[in-house]
Amino acid sequence: MTVPRLIRFVLNGRPVSAQVMPHETVVEMLTQQFDLRGARESCGQGLCGCCTVHLNGKPVSGCLQLAALIDGGRIDTVEGLEKGRQLDPVQQAFIDAGAFQCGFCTPGFIMMTKSLLAEHPDPSDDEIRHYLTGNLCRCSAYPEIIEAVRLAARRTAQAPLAMAGGAA
Amino acid sequence: MVTLASRNIGASIPRLEAREKVTGRADYVHHLRLPGMLHGKIFRSTLPHARIKSIDTSAAAAVEGVYRVVTIDDIRTVIPHPYYGPAFHDQPVLADGKVRFAGEPVAVVLAQDRHVAEVAAGLITAEYEELPYVEDEVEALRGEVMVHDELRPAHTFADLKYLQGRKGTNVALDYKLRRGDVAAGFAKADRIFEHTFRAQPVMHTPMEPFVSIADVADGRVTLHTASQGPSFVRIEIARLLGWPENRVRVKVPYLGGGFGGKLYIKLEALVTALSLLVERPVKISLTMEEQFFMVTRHACTFNIKSGVMNDGRIVARHCEVIWNGGAYADIGPRVTQKAGFTSAGPYDIENVAIESYAVYTNRPPAGALRGFGAPQTAWAYECHMDMIAEELGLDKVEFRRINLLREGRPQASGTPMKDAALDKALEHVADRLNWSAPFDRGSGCIRRGRGLAIGFKGITSPTTSVAVVNLFGDGSCALYIGTVDMGQGSDTVMAQIAAEVLDIGAASIRVIHSDTDVTPYDMGTLGSRSTFHMGTAVRLAAEDAKRKIEALAAELGLPPRSNAPLSELFKRKYGMQAGNIIGTATFIPDYQKPDADGQSTKATPFWGVGAAGAEVEIDMETGQLTILRLINVADVGTALNPRLVRAQLSGAAIMQLGFTTTEHMVFRDGQLTNGSLADYKIPSLLDMPREFISEWVESRQDSGPFGAKGAGESTTIALSPAIGNAIADAIGVHITDLPLTPEKIFRAIRQAAGAPLPGE
Amino acid sequence: MRSFDLIEPRKLDDIFDLLTDGEEPVRPMGGGTALMLMMKANLFAPARLVSLRHLGPPFVGLSFDPESSVMRIGALTTFSQLEHSADIAAHLPVVTQTMRTLANVRVRNVASVGGNLAHADPHLDLPPVWLALDADVMLVSRNGERIVPVEEIFAGYYETTIADGELVAELRVPVKAGWRSTYVKITTRAAHDWPALGLTISVSGGPARIDDLRLVLSAALDRPTRLREAEAVLRERALDDDVLREAGDAAVAEVDIESDSRGSSAYKQELLRVHLRRGLVSLLGAA
Repeated sequence: MTVPRLIRFVLNGRPVSAQVMPHETVVEMLTQQFDLRGARESCGQGLCGCCTVHLNGKPVSGCLQLAALIDGGRIDTVEGLEKGRQLDPVQQAFIDAGAFQCGFCTPGFIMMTKSLLAEHPDPSDDEIRHYLTGNLCRCSAYPEIIEAVRLAARRTAQAPLAMAGGAA
Repeated sequence: MVTLASRNIGASIPRLEAREKVTGRADYVHHLRLPGMLHGKIFRSTLPHARIKSIDTSAAAAVEGVYRVVTIDDIRTVIPHPYYGPAFHDQPVLADGKVRFAGEPVAVVLAQDRHVAEVAAGLITAEYEELPYVEDEVEALRGEVMVHDELRPAHTFADLKYLQGRKGTNVALDYKLRRGDVAAGFAKADRIFEHTFRAQPVMHTPMEPFVSIADVADGRVTLHTASQGPSFVRIEIARLLGWPENRVRVKVPYLGGGFGGKLYIKLEALVTALSLLVERPVKISLTMEEQFFMVTRHACTFNIKSGVMNDGRIVARHCEVIWNGGAYADIGPRVTQKAGFTSAGPYDIENVAIESYAVYTNRPPAGALRGFGAPQTAWAYECHMDMIAEELGLDKVEFRRINLLREGRPQASGTPMKDAALDKALEHVADRLNWSAPFDRGSGCIRRGRGLAIGFKGITSPTTSVAVVNLFGDGSCALYIGTVDMGQGSDTVMAQIAAEVLDIGAASIRVIHSDTDVTPYDMGTLGSRSTFHMGTAVRLAAEDAKRKIEALAAELGLPPRSNAPLSELFKRKYGMQAGNIIGTATFIPDYQKPDADGQSTKATPFWGVGAAGAEVEIDMETGQLTILRLINVADVGTALNPRLVRAQLSGAAIMQLGFTTTEHMVFRDGQLTNGSLADYKIPSLLDMPREFISEWVESRQDSGPFGAKGAGESTTIALSPAIGNAIADAIGVHITDLPLTPEKIFRAIRQAAGAPLPGE
Repeated sequence: MRSFDLIEPRKLDDIFDLLTDGEEPVRPMGGGTALMLMMKANLFAPARLVSLRHLGPPFVGLSFDPESSVMRIGALTTFSQLEHSADIAAHLPVVTQTMRTLANVRVRNVASVGGNLAHADPHLDLPPVWLALDADVMLVSRNGERIVPVEEIFAGYYETTIADGELVAELRVPVKAGWRSTYVKITTRAAHDWPALGLTISVSGGPARIDDLRLVLSAALDRPTRLREAEAVLRERALDDDVLREAGDAAVAEVDIESDSRGSSAYKQELLRVHLRRGLVSLLGAA
């Protein structure tokens, strides 16, 4: 018998609960139950990164993640990056470098870039390409995306508190 | 070149919608939900050509949570003649007695839960009587297997009014162009060269897959659809329903990519019919896999023959271009014409004959994709140019210089070249490649090569754009246009144009997104037309608004050029903050319909020009290709927003790079074998060339808004042949079929060495 | 996707019961990425999924035992854990190298070593590396444990010899002093793609004498495959052009490489020759 279950988790810093069916994915839950549209299912195969969310601090493909199994965990989405009216430095860098066109893949790239910079605060171009190769942009804003990552890296090196989520 | 005396023209103003896009809040139809909405899941044909004997929907209908299962017989109860298309009304809303490609929609399951709809769709079965099928365009042109029994021209568009199709054939359109006398030209030529080139079917794969919602209520329908052409959607849906246009409303927020795929009718007719049947909103949202069955790019076989004098002048050229249109024409006939008339290349040739055929096959329909046929034809004529130059012992740039169309000279259609910076683009790319400097050809098993190419395209014509500039009681401004921002930055650029005329900041303007109840007619956001056509309409509408402001000031007794703010004028006139000033304009460029020989003095309102250069490295033991340098050069006239222009040039080039090296819709026995991103590989960051340059030459389109013209497709045109020519330079052999894969390169190397690899 | 029962037992015995009880398809689940892909593609519709995520050792744990010189890798170890492990980098650097181009960061954060082995997709990067490293797999069931060489796990396309009710618990990889390894991943479409050919080379010795070696071909066959004939040609020989050519011939002759969307069989044979030669030269030094 397949029954929905109640899960509890922290969503963008807030404790929440949801009733989820076993086959419901994290992206489905976020869009249908929380009206969060930043994570989007596109390729459906975990190859394009449009559905990237952070699960327990690590980027995962939301379209391949069963919601039921995140019980007790933490989910962070692009909607949680803005603090008040202040954009996250990665978001601001994407704007300043013009690193998007249609914008559909952009939240995924931004969430991946957050993780990239947490792991490699001063990434080489090679590190950037390899880390972000699992994110696809059909508008092909790749040169600008690399620029945005470099820009975000430079700025967060100058103001590390901004990355930790404090007011900058 | 416009000097930056203006704060709007030539300014790299950030996109107006930047914040929405980086916060994930931008609106796409993808995530739109309406109360009471049902999801539709399509059940598709598994055969390329067959008569439908029966469809059994009973098991699907019995699944708990299924609302209804629909086939063409149900559709006919609400749409009596359920056939649509911009060129021919040949495409049924659901398969009607026959399926013509594997993947064609046959039935739809409606349910509130998407998973339920999907599971139920998997339980539908259909019985077919298989029919012979044809996949290849050459075979379809010459052969016996007919895809359609009868063709119904649409008469919707001015340039496709005279379509008939050739009875008893698979030819939807045959386009002819004659200039001079090719037979005489070939007779007097010193040398004749003849080659055949092929381009493969590919797909746009926008990251937001096709999605439409129809909401029928109170005798009206509202469509929320990811479409580049809302006005056409309205016209066509109204026609299908037999309703006046004013009862059909089409709304488009942002598109998650379009690239030409989201045009004309895709899912709109189907969701409209479904919503009419169930009297609830209906949404169909395709998966990435299903996109491959919605629309593709024309594969193409191009037989090209040139007569050349020993001094390098091309005196005659014959082009036979056969376009694989798939099972339904979509906009293929226009591709056939528009790419047809430029298929002899940007060269000044006295005697030209062109036959360009839009051919039906039992494959998913081909339609518009960035470049609109120009890339496939440039692949042929630019590789052909290099092969001729090699035979004649001529430098490849010099050979092009000798023959390039210059300002004022008539193109093959008879239309004179104006404001097409072909010569500048050619010189620029040659310069960037250091063409006159010696080139290191590699050592050991690594060979290096360089190559270039130049191409052009004509713009779909005649087309109409209407714009409305609305100034509110406080003087703030809204711009109402049907141009759809799919990432190219049209909101921003159109605001810049209006702002320039009104002398305000572009970022202060609100651009109202397509809502056909509110935004006026536009032919479509396609084919590099918007900057020129809608940009001109916007400029004129802003000027109209400006004149009205001046008239109001005069009416109120103010001296001319007193520059009182509009809010002041309104207060004086109405006694309070109230009123509007509405400026409006319609723009349609001059056009002359080509005669029976394809001749016209005004075949296109402007020319798109693109050149490319590449330096490559080939591992001779594996065929692996490394692109060291890729240079993309375009003529965009004035770059209204340099940053956005560069993004267009660069984005179009990388997309075309995928079409050149890694993308290929592979069919076997009429079935697509690789319809998913796991097996249909689009470029990622790791596919970027080491050095990648996108630039434009200094030029001006006099007839365009502030000297500008379109930029969205320019760098798609010459990229494939530039890489093909560079590879040939490295390995000494020209590959004539796209895509340029390592295996193809390796086989060519082995073939040339007299040790061909077995099998294929 | 159809719904299913999703159960997250905390005790191993409960899991065994769940795996073998009833007639409907039941599947154990590690990270779940491969399973999700199959379910979304309607290739697999389980009635029940049993998540292993709450299990403890030996399923979790990543440690090097210096006495036996064996790396013990719990089946639930994620690729990301392998990628960032200092022990792995120190003792099995070929694994760290392989991680760099394996899937993408998101998949690596979730996919598990055990699930990856049990999936038996012949294009996967890691199973051939385990094979070349002479790894053993510890399987557990209600009846106890059994340890088998990893080679015996692979039975064909998506087929293993793991019995119903049996779970991959741990991978045991010997760390052999003096051996060097590399995994060569050849993609022929996009740079980042499933491989057309995977070649894992493990050697001890030097260019003057190859003491011992393992050669594993993957992606071009239905399972990762030792190239034993080619190994025999090279074993105890000096590295030179002749022996490399002979080894290439032997490699090509001993397997039946398939054509697919990533390359024809003839082309893959050429790739095998070239990359076998280049891989050996790069590992051992020039002849």
